[in-house]
Parts: sequence; structure tokens; C-alpha cells
Amino acid sequence: MKPDQRSFRIMLAADRYVNPPPGGLDAVAVAEQTGWGVMQLPADDYPPEVAGPLLAEVAEQLEEFSRHGYAFVLVGERAGLPEALANVGVPLPDQISPGTPRQLADFLDGRPAPRAAWDAGSAAD
Amino acid sequence: MGVAFVAHCLLNQNSKVGDGAHCAGVYSPVIDVLREKGWRIEQMPCPELAFTGLNRFWAVKEQLDTAAYRRHCERLAEAVAAVISVRVTKGEDVVLVGVEGSPSMGVTVTSSDPLRGGRPEWPDGTAEHVSGEGIFVEEIHKALAKRGIGFPRVAGETHALAGHDEAAQRAGLESALEG
Repeated sequence: MKPDQRSFRIMLAADRYVNPPPGGLDAVAVAEQTGWGVMQLPADDYPPEVAGPLLAEVAEQLEEFSRHGYAFVLVGERAGLPEALANVGVPLPDQISPGTPRQLADFLDGRPAPRAAWDAGSAAD
Repeated sequence: MGVAFVAHCLLNQNSKVGDGAHCAGVYSPVIDVLREKGWRIEQMPCPELAFTGLNRFWAVKEQLDTAAYRRHCERLAEAVAAVISVRVTKGEDVVLVGVEGSPSMGVTVTSSDPLRGGRPEWPDGTAEHVSGEGIFVEEIHKALAKRGIGFPRVAGETHALAGHDEAAQRAGLESALEG
């Protein structure tokens, strides 16, 4: 069996970076190249009764990652996210609204190694 | 083209059970096909992550199938069904991409062993994969039925199955996308 290959690094990404409009920035492609996982935030045009439960689930899952020392960042923004994270006691992560894939990749490359990676003895870089 | 509702771990392998992450983050063999075909991506929540945690053991369906886990999956399924409903109302085509062999996310293959429990030791090669849906997918089925929405076409990531073949996995996904 191949060893577990997770990166312990997760980007919370606004929908417009996961499903970019023509000419938009594809953060999933950057995540593939840099080895980050992606947690997608609900599209901005979803009504509150649809987006609210999704944001609550994102926050609950992020809480579990946070408890275990995974690293995360926010790409873009999403109304309601700060409140959802506050409800589970997780601070809003460092954020970027990148204009180019290079800006996003540089931002990700500059992040410190996650504590979870060190705990697992597999910290990269 | 349409909207593909994908298992959480296909965009984030960090959510996998220990020793289960096939790559660092994004599972490209599935996501790249969706990109090539121009499908919108909607990531579903991982039902096991928040309920049983990152340190969970590998499990078969019977071990997870408690009333409390069902309620948890039902809550998540309602959230997913609400988004599917938005998309279906817009007239968009929908597919669901799960994880074959998963006790929660299997779409045509799940895992089953009614005798498994207690000290977590069992022989390698136990034939635990059986036809059927995982628990979360079953709950999505119910949530859509309550809304009068038909269950979408499905495809599955097959990495955990014996004889996994990436070309066959891609063909299965493309077939589901083409309808």
C-alpha cells in the first residue's frame, strides 16, 4: 500500500475560484500544482436558506482540521463565513483575492508548514 | 454540460481516513475530466469527517450505520438536496460522483461485513465490497425523493477497489456525464 499522501494543507475557496468565469482564475488548478486540498464555499447567488447550512458544514469540518493542526487559507471571500467559523470557535484564516495564478501560488508557497505535518513526521519543505 | 456534485475528498484528500489519501489534495483523474468537459463542480460535505473525525478507523457500512450517524447524514443530505434542487429548477443536468467501496459515499459499490467489530484486526483481502450505496448516498436519495427530484446519474472514483483501472474509471465518468 502506498503511504498516505495528504498535504495537511487546505484552501477554502470562493465559488468563483472553483468554477471561474471565462478568463477567471482557476484556484483548483493551482491547488493541483501546489498540493493543496480545496474546500469549496457556496456560490454567492444561493439564497440564505441554501447557503447557510452549507457554510455551517464547512465550519464544522474546518473545526476538525483545525483541532488536528492542518493549515488553511481563504481564497476570495464569502458572506456569512466569518460568522459560521466564529460559531465553532475557529478564526478566519489568512486571506487572498489573487489576480493571477502566480500570486496565489506564491501566497501558498509562503505559508508555514502545518503543525499536523510535523506531528505526522512528514512535513514538506 | 451540467453540474457535478462530487464527494468532498475528490477536491480534498486531506479528509480521507488515515492511509487513504491517494494524493496531496485534488484527485486529478476525476476533476480534470470534469474541467475538460466543462462541468460545474459542487463539492459535497464529507459525512465521516465531522462525525467520526480525522483519526477514525477504516470501517464497513454496518459499523457506521447507527441512528445518530443516519441523522447526521440526513442533515447533510438535506443541505445537498437543496442545492441540487436549485440546479434542477434552472434546468441544469446533474450527476453525482461518489467513491466506490466507501461505506458512506459508494454509489454502486459500498463495503459490508456484518461481523466486523471490536479490536480492529482482520485479514487482508477480506471481501468487503458489495453492490449498493453508502449511507450518505442513501440519505441523498431519500432527501431528493422528498422533494420530488429524481436521483441523478452517478459515477464513482474507484481507487479503493481491487483491479482499479484509471482508464476504466475515466470511461465510467465520461459515460455518466454524457448520459
